[in-house]
Amino acid sequence: MKQIGFYFDQTRCTGCYTCSVACKDWNDIDAGPENWMRIITIEKGKFPDLSLAYLAVACNHCADPSCVKACPTNAIIKRESDGIVVVDQELCLGKEECGAKCLKACPWDAPQFNSESNAKMRKCDLCVERLEKGQQTICVEACPMYALDVGTMEQLRQKYGSNTQAIGFQNNKKIKPSIIYKSKL
Amino acid sequence: MNKDNIEVEKSDIKIINTGCCHDCGGRCTLKAHVKDGKIIRFETDNGEDPQLRACLRGRAYRQKVYHPDRLKYPMRRIGERGEGRFERISWDEALDIVANKMKEIKEKYGNSSILFVPGAGNQGMLHGVTPVGLMLNQFGGYTRMWGAPSYEGALFASMATYGTMMTGSTREDLFNSKLIIMWGWNPANTIWDPGTPLMLAKAREKGIKIINIDPIFTDSAAVLAGQWIPIRPGTDTAMLSAMAYVIITENLQDQNFIDKYTVGYDKYKAYIMGQADGIPKTPQWAEEITKVPAETIINLAREYATNKPAALMAGWGPARTALGEQYSRAANVLCTITGNIGINGGYASGFMRAYYSRESVRSTSKKKTGPIKQEEKKEIEKKPTPRGNPIDFRAPPRKDALHKLRGGTNPASTRIHFNEYYDAILQGRKGGYPADLKMAYIAAENRLNQYSNVNKGIKALKSLEFIVIHEQFMTPTAKFADILLPVNTFMERNDIAVPWLGSPYYIYLNKAIDSLYESKSDLEICKELSKKLGIEPGLLNLPEDQILRIFTSPRKDIKSYDEMKRDGFYKVKVDETFVAFKEQIADPENNPFPTLSGKIEIYCEHIAELDIPNMPPIPKYLSHEEHYDAPLAKKYPLQLLTTHNKRRTHSSISMIPWLEEVEPHMVWINPVDAELRRIEHGDLVDIFNDRGRVRIPANVTERVIPGAVVVYQGAWYNPNEEGVDVGGCGNVLTKDSRSPGGAFPMNSALVQVELYSKKESEGSS
Repeated sequence: MKQIGFYFDQTRCTGCYTCSVACKDWNDIDAGPENWMRIITIEKGKFPDLSLAYLAVACNHCADPSCVKACPTNAIIKRESDGIVVVDQELCLGKEECGAKCLKACPWDAPQFNSESNAKMRKCDLCVERLEKGQQTICVEACPMYALDVGTMEQLRQKYGSNTQAIGFQNNKKIKPSIIYKSKL
Repeated sequence: MNKDNIEVEKSDIKIINTGCCHDCGGRCTLKAHVKDGKIIRFETDNGEDPQLRACLRGRAYRQKVYHPDRLKYPMRRIGERGEGRFERISWDEALDIVANKMKEIKEKYGNSSILFVPGAGNQGMLHGVTPVGLMLNQFGGYTRMWGAPSYEGALFASMATYGTMMTGSTREDLFNSKLIIMWGWNPANTIWDPGTPLMLAKAREKGIKIINIDPIFTDSAAVLAGQWIPIRPGTDTAMLSAMAYVIITENLQDQNFIDKYTVGYDKYKAYIMGQADGIPKTPQWAEEITKVPAETIINLAREYATNKPAALMAGWGPARTALGEQYSRAANVLCTITGNIGINGGYASGFMRAYYSRESVRSTSKKKTGPIKQEEKKEIEKKPTPRGNPIDFRAPPRKDALHKLRGGTNPASTRIHFNEYYDAILQGRKGGYPADLKMAYIAAENRLNQYSNVNKGIKALKSLEFIVIHEQFMTPTAKFADILLPVNTFMERNDIAVPWLGSPYYIYLNKAIDSLYESKSDLEICKELSKKLGIEPGLLNLPEDQILRIFTSPRKDIKSYDEMKRDGFYKVKVDETFVAFKEQIADPENNPFPTLSGKIEIYCEHIAELDIPNMPPIPKYLSHEEHYDAPLAKKYPLQLLTTHNKRRTHSSISMIPWLEEVEPHMVWINPVDAELRRIEHGDLVDIFNDRGRVRIPANVTERVIPGAVVVYQGAWYNPNEEGVDVGGCGNVLTKDSRSPGGAFPMNSALVQVELYSKKESEGSS
């Protein structure tokens, strides 16, 4: 089965947030708790022996997604054609009514809610409309460091290998995230 | 709208090729998706390499354009200056008031009483300050100021050492280096022309060693460099001097290069060896001062001198200090004595401009001096648009400028230094300034916020008879206007942006939407105001596009204006990697350096002639009254840095919610200093000195050297009832002075920090 996923070069990420802001602009998401693309900062050490890494985290469009299983109304759908995980807003019960089971099931906080009461879940859909038009995702085109890529997992492995380790990332082999890293480890 | 620059995506969405022209280190491509006359989102450059990808600042611009706090119509002040109370008036009434007031002031006090305060809030060729300057020239002139807070120290040093600001190389040349030293340079946040951080990452991936020297563990230090050397703020010249000591004592200098291309090495060597002052500038001497271990200094000096070609990139931040030009000159000298100049993979430091696009229209003719003859005066008056400011015309050069050199140093004497103009307003001619200032015309500039000593600035601005301001928002400065004129954004007008540092490209900003509310462009305002002033608008009368064609016509590198307009950018094809001073090194007989001696001036005779205290003809490490070892440090023991962060461009995009959430505004303080003061992460703290008090939360972080605190510049001054700035503007604390070379001391303020209140404990949810 075809599976589209992310590549992230952690050695290049300067934590500039351009991907995250471009995502909010493209998808018209207000400032606030809803972040389809999150930047995690991992600082270690004591002055002057320090290390700093950033991890850009969207949705890993897992091969066996835990959010799909957790959703009581089957509002989260894994597309057969490309493995992209999307949400049917009509079916989603909303954060309070359902208790955000998808968010609790996801190890990487991909399911996101805005600040409205009983907000419906939204998340990274890999800019599916752009991909279908043959364009890249908005975050990939935004990154000034060319640290992001999106493609089929086959293509990505060919280009970048198959490393799934990165600073700040805890893999979950059961649900098989569609992500490849160049790690700062 | 020209059909060519619109790509139709869906029938109802137009894509306008435009861009960004903040005063950041970029100038980048934005493609505005416009639906029903409204921008709904942006894309950036996705065409041919090198792409001019916008950073987060540009990507968030939609929230500035449509921000609810945009100024919507002209206003007249009804409260006290600074209070922020205004009433709406019509454009006609507003411009009548401005025109009448300007005529009255000119009549009463003469043109020199008009202070033009131009800013960098817009960096297009046409809008922002340009039309205001043209209009004021036509009106008979104004008092100008000199000095740029970003770089004046680096510029002075570049002129003194090399006689030019064109000292950089194209970025690809970094790949030819064996070692790159990033000194006080953080392009991961400050960009330094798009693509620079990427080039550094690629250089590192090619195995080129990159070392970063900075008091802050910046994103550049953490991500682009492989080694970080923390240094005590303001002591860079001591470390550079100690590196020179190692190089000289171990005979690692490039003596052939020194003999052939430089003057004054012996005098510098005498200083380094301590022959003049009895203090050899040893690594052990420097360790005490800089907190950098002597061994680290020795190793770095050896690495730099023996890994040729090596690029020492001396950033501008360490020159934004009380005696900033000493650091820049010391860095230039280190590049020189190792022979790293004019060769691929080396680097001259200096001002670091590489491509000539910004220079190509500058006149290099020598400025005439002496009184204006009667017939000349008539000639000048006949011209529809004077080429310069009549007040400056034929003025003798400033006594402390490198006036014998061409370009770059702005030697006109009527100018007041930008960081001394509060004093100039308050004291005028009695205080030795060249004018008694009565009114300010402010454009594209949040002056009060972005220059030193806000509290003194308030006094100065309150004392003026009249203030008119073009603004987009109710900034801390705008609150002091008598008449506030709403100006549009660069999405609402046509303009061209020249790259910030001079990379080979241009950005054409096609107008994406109509002006919002009653806002107008600076050009429109000045055109209408000119009529009311009874002066000929001249150039201002032409349509935007025609003026832009006139402005770009001397630039021979733009082969097609129409292509540039269509695409929203013009990428100039540069045949080969450009390296500054290649000709001077390859063929010195026919290509002297543009200095007075024709050589690289380690010792600068011109400076010696000026004979100004604290400006020695060779670069020296000197202390000053707000240095870490000054008596004042007993009272205010912490050194304040007010550097750039990743989410702001000075103060001009501070209000954008998407950017605000990226990094909360906090003072960075090391845990060692925080513990001493019982401060924990998130506590509200006061940062203060004799100039003022700022109250923001503490970010207790290992990422800053003990003894220093960082208040990132650009946050808006917001005083509470007691006059404490709860907005977090670093310039409440910085000193309104300048170095002899014109450097701004934004990174040279001594402060104390104390706990104000503990962080409210978060209740369990």
